[in-house]
Parts: sequence; C-alpha cells; structure tokens
Amino acid sequence: MPGTQKEKFIIPIGPQHPALKEPAHFEFTVDGETVTSASVRFGYVHRGIEKGAENRNWTQAMYLLERICGICSHAHSTAYAIGVEKLAGVPAPPRAQAIRQILLELERLHSHMLWVGVAAHEAGFETLFMYSWRDRETVMDILESFSGNRVNYSANLLGGVKYDLGPAQADSIKRGLDFLEERLHYYMKIVNNDESFLRRTRGVGTMTTAEAEQLGAIGPVARASGVARDLRVDAPYLLYEQFPVTIVLGSTGDLHTRFVVRIQELFESVRVIRNLLAGLPEGELTVRFPRRIPEGETISRIEAPRGGLFYFIKSGGGENPIRVKVRTPSLRNFMSVLVGSVGHQLADVPMILSGIDPCFSCNDRMIVVRRQPGKESVS
Amino acid sequence: MSMDIEILLKMLIFPGGLTLIALGLLYEYIDRKLMARFQNRIGPRLLQPLADAVKLLAKEEVVPIGVIPIFFVSLPIIAMAGALTAGLYIPMAGLTPSFSLPGDLIIVVFLLGLLTLSIGLAGANTADRFSIIGAIRTLTQLFSYEAPFLLALLCPAILADSWQISVVHESVLGQVWLALPLFIGFFVAVIGLMGKLELAPFDAPEAESEIEAGALTEYSGRGLALFRLGKNVELVVGLTLIAAFYLGGLANPLEFLLKTLGLLVVVAALQALFARLRIDQTVGMWWRIGALLALAQLLIVVILKGVIL
Repeated sequence: MPGTQKEKFIIPIGPQHPALKEPAHFEFTVDGETVTSASVRFGYVHRGIEKGAENRNWTQAMYLLERICGICSHAHSTAYAIGVEKLAGVPAPPRAQAIRQILLELERLHSHMLWVGVAAHEAGFETLFMYSWRDRETVMDILESFSGNRVNYSANLLGGVKYDLGPAQADSIKRGLDFLEERLHYYMKIVNNDESFLRRTRGVGTMTTAEAEQLGAIGPVARASGVARDLRVDAPYLLYEQFPVTIVLGSTGDLHTRFVVRIQELFESVRVIRNLLAGLPEGELTVRFPRRIPEGETISRIEAPRGGLFYFIKSGGGENPIRVKVRTPSLRNFMSVLVGSVGHQLADVPMILSGIDPCFSCNDRMIVVRRQPGKESVS
Repeated sequence: MSMDIEILLKMLIFPGGLTLIALGLLYEYIDRKLMARFQNRIGPRLLQPLADAVKLLAKEEVVPIGVIPIFFVSLPIIAMAGALTAGLYIPMAGLTPSFSLPGDLIIVVFLLGLLTLSIGLAGANTADRFSIIGAIRTLTQLFSYEAPFLLALLCPAILADSWQISVVHESVLGQVWLALPLFIGFFVAVIGLMGKLELAPFDAPEAESEIEAGALTEYSGRGLALFRLGKNVELVVGLTLIAAFYLGGLANPLEFLLKTLGLLVVVAALQALFARLRIDQTVGMWWRIGALLALAQLLIVVILKGVIL
C-alpha cells in the first residue's frame, strides 16, 4: 500500500538494479539501515509462453517450454515430456529415462554452482564468485560435449532422447565429476570456515520449519529449514526409484544452512550420476510417438534445481495442447524473502533475495485475480 | 621569480600534480590487475585506467535535479585538490617533501580525510536514495577508521619526537623497519588505508548489490573522473606515507617503487580474501578492535620511549 507509506524512506530495488540479473521490482522500506517492510512486483518479462504453447503442436511446444528458464531448461522440457508421454500412454524407454535423469542432475550441478557464485557476489565475496564460476565451466563443457549446447540442450524428444551416451562420454563425465567433487569439498570448507563470509551468512534470513511450511517454501530453501520436501523422494519419476537420492535436510534455515544444503545436494547428484553411468540400461533411445494425443489432462511434477516444478497439461485429442499451465518453483519462495527481510539490515537484503535462488522470468504468467465478485484485475 | 617557477613546477608537474596522477593511474592498474589475477580473471590492460579517466573527463557532466549545483560541481574539485595537496608534504619518490612545516602530518591526514568528506557531502547533496544511503555509510565509516589510522601514524612520529613528516622520515631512514617492532601500528595503518579508500572488504559505502554506486551514483563525466583520480592519488599518498614511516623510509626512487608496490600487493591480496563487511560490522570492528589496537600500540610506544630514552 504505497499511499500509507509516503513518509517512509523506500529503497527501490529493480526493475533495473545491479543486484538483479533479471527484472523485478522490490520496495524495501528502511528505518536507517533496518528494513521495516517489503513488497514485490513481477511481470516485466511476461512472454506469453503458455498461450504460445497452445498454438504449437505437441513437439514444437516442448522446444518453446524449454526456453522458460535459461538455467533449468532441461527440467522444463522433461516435465513436459513426461506429462505428454503419460497422456499418450507411451513411456520413454529406460535408457532414455536414465539419460534424462543424468542430464537433470548435471543441470542441478551447474545451477547450484552458479548460485554459489551469485550469492557470494551479493555478499561482496568476488573471489568465491569467480572460482565457482570457473569450476562450473566443467559441467558446461560436459553438457556441451553431450548435446552441442551449453544452455538449451534440447536433448528430449517426445518418447525418448536425441543423444546417446557412449562409453567415451561416460568416461569424460566421470572425470569431470571427480574434479567437481574435489572442488565442492573445497567450497564446503570455505562456506563453513571463512569467518568474514560466515558473518554475512550465519543467522541471516532465518526461516523456521513452521514458517517454511506456512509460507509454502519448496526446494533447497524448504529443506534448509528442515521441511522434508523433495519430489525425487516423495513422488519418484524417471528412474529415481532404482537410483534414489537421499534427501538433504538442514535445521536452522539461515543462509549458511542453505549453502550447506545446496552443496550437499550436489554430492548426492554426483553419486546418482555415477550410479546411473554404472547401471545405464541397454535398449532403444526412442519409441514411436503419435501425432495426436488422446483427450485428457494430467499433472507432471519434477524436482528442478530450485524446487518442485509443476506442469498441468490438457489435451483435446488434437495435435496441439489445449492448455499448458506452468508453476515455477521460485514463485513459491518469494514470500520468504518478503517476510524474511523485515528486521534485517539493508545490506543483507540482496543476500536474502539471492538466498532463494530466484528466477524472475520463469515466474511471469498472467494471473486473473478476483478480489471482489464481478471485478477482475490482471496481474 | 625563478623561485616561483620552481614551486609551480613542484606543484603541477613533479613531484605533485601530473606525476601523482600518473602514478595513481599506474597503481590503480596494478591493484586491479593483481585483484583480477587473484580471482582468476584476466584484468585490465595497462592503459585502461587512463582511458577511463580521459573518457570520463571528456563527457558531459549531468547536474541532476534537486542538488545545489555549486556544491555538486565544486566537491569533486575540492576532493581532488585535497589529495594532490597532501602529495606535496610527503617524501614522494624518496625525495625530500616539496613543502615541510612542523605538524604537517596532521595536515596530510586532514587533507586525505577531505576526499572522503567530499564524497559523503556529494552523496548527501543529491536527492537520490542510493546516494543518501551511500553518503550515510561513507561518513559513518569515516568516523570509525579515522582515529585509529591517525593513531597508527602517530606512533613513529612520537618515536621521532616530531609531527613533521620529513623529520620522522629522516629519523627512520636506514634504521630497522618500524613495521617489525610496531607491527600492530603497521597493521592498523594498512587496514585504515583500505578503509579510507573504501576498498573491499570495507566497500559497504559503494556496495553495488545494494546501493549501486553509493554516494557517487548521480555523478557522471568530469565529477566522477575527479573523484576517481582523487582516490588513486590518495592510494599513492597513503602507501607512500606508510612505507616512509613503517618500512624503513624511502631513500631513493627505486626503494620508493619497491616498497610501495610491495605494500600494494599486500593490499590487493587482502581485498581478494574477504567478503564485504556490513556497515555495522565495519564500525564495530574498528571501535572494538582497531581503536583498541592502535591505542595499545601508542601506549607501548610511549612507555618504551620513557624507559629507553
């Protein structure tokens, strides 16, 4: 309510601000250096992707949806592919599922390492930022050598994957993982031991288990607060039943715990990828997939790096989806920023904000809000 | 007449004026390059700081709405003049200071503080919210490191029985480095200089992820160039002062280069090592640790002097 806060000192962050890599508008009311209230506004990068998907056929829509997020692109296309395969009743062959899962975990590696760098940058710890991004290049190289692309791998097909994983590639992935694991141990050491960094992370943005439940947090943010919520464990998809991950839980829910939880999750990812590479099922990469999908609707959920990714897909029996609804994980974590930053120093706000690993563009969907019966507003 | 020309030359060309600015640009380059290499980056080219300065100086200076224009334009000049004037009282390049008078140590410390004060006032002068927060932080930080920094520089002065820089400098020339017996004072002086220059981890006043460029957010063109050059000059002056007092003096230009650059390497390494301190952490650290250390050092010096001499 801007009208009632006229006399207060409001610090606007965004839509253009050095702390934000994507546009969103935050208003932090400060008293000296202490934040007293916060609000957020999205919608600067609404791209009409959901509507766009309705005008494309089932295959084309997948490539469009892959572009919702630049970091977890494979998570989006996999969630969509799994949903459509469920509707069609044609599951992908086991080998394709294993390759999808390997890519998902590699994506988690590159996403979390990127986050370590960004969060360190917000704390003014440029050295950690540069180091983690340098080492992240290892994952990017693996992904590039696998699919030819660093970001949108477009590895999925409806009913399978495009690329096979040969022994030579498996070896290069294993070598990369060995290196990364060593580096991750090093980052874990820095995060746990660097006194100046701990002063910026310990006790900052703390969210208790009850608060995390109440605010509906998901992903590593919720797990750092002790909420055992991980779709890979709760509702296993792909081969997560045969090659399970152990859920990583924190207890204190501050920024430091989020660092620890995310890095520990990466050790889990490394372990799962190694298991998958060792037990890669033999067989076809693709199955024949129909052009028309029988009428019906389905929900497809997978655990993206930032938390549970939700897809609702509806088919009218034709070549196009009738409706695709996407709910990205960042959207559910923003409340924790608004609540969590109150009472903190202004200097901690960028840290708290980046602590949820926000992905702004992914959130921007059109929502019709009915505040009063008969009156609709679009936001 | 020839006397006047000599003074003018000293002020404008060597060792003040242009030489100081050129050295400042060189030291900025070395600082940035070292930081970049420590962080696994490539870093700027040799002439990058000069190119930045020339480009900024050539650009139009936009005077934003809501400022007092005369302050907005004159504060960068005052800051720059302060830093350059301070350079005239120190043993630049190992030569005797251009000007020297009893008590000039206090003058130099004041002139160096003038730069920070100008930045703070410049930020408070603009109506921008980031500038105001930045200005508050700049001035808050000024009050935290200024006293320990001065105390740290006073220790050698007390040993030399003079507050005149040239006298202190001559007294330490050829002696054992004061940084060894007075390592606390040396430490406080180096950290104090980093605080003065708002280098990481004391860069909360210009923390880009919160308040963009801090107090100087509204500055562009000439004003920004002058503030940046002023900071570069202050870097050189500060390093020279610490090297002259604590590192056994500066007998010749070569020694000057070696000692100040050695200090610069230490400063760059310290910048790369730490995460940024919040402003409350900075102030707390200086008053809880920095000031006490400096006072303890001063006490030790006074007692030792009483016992030995």
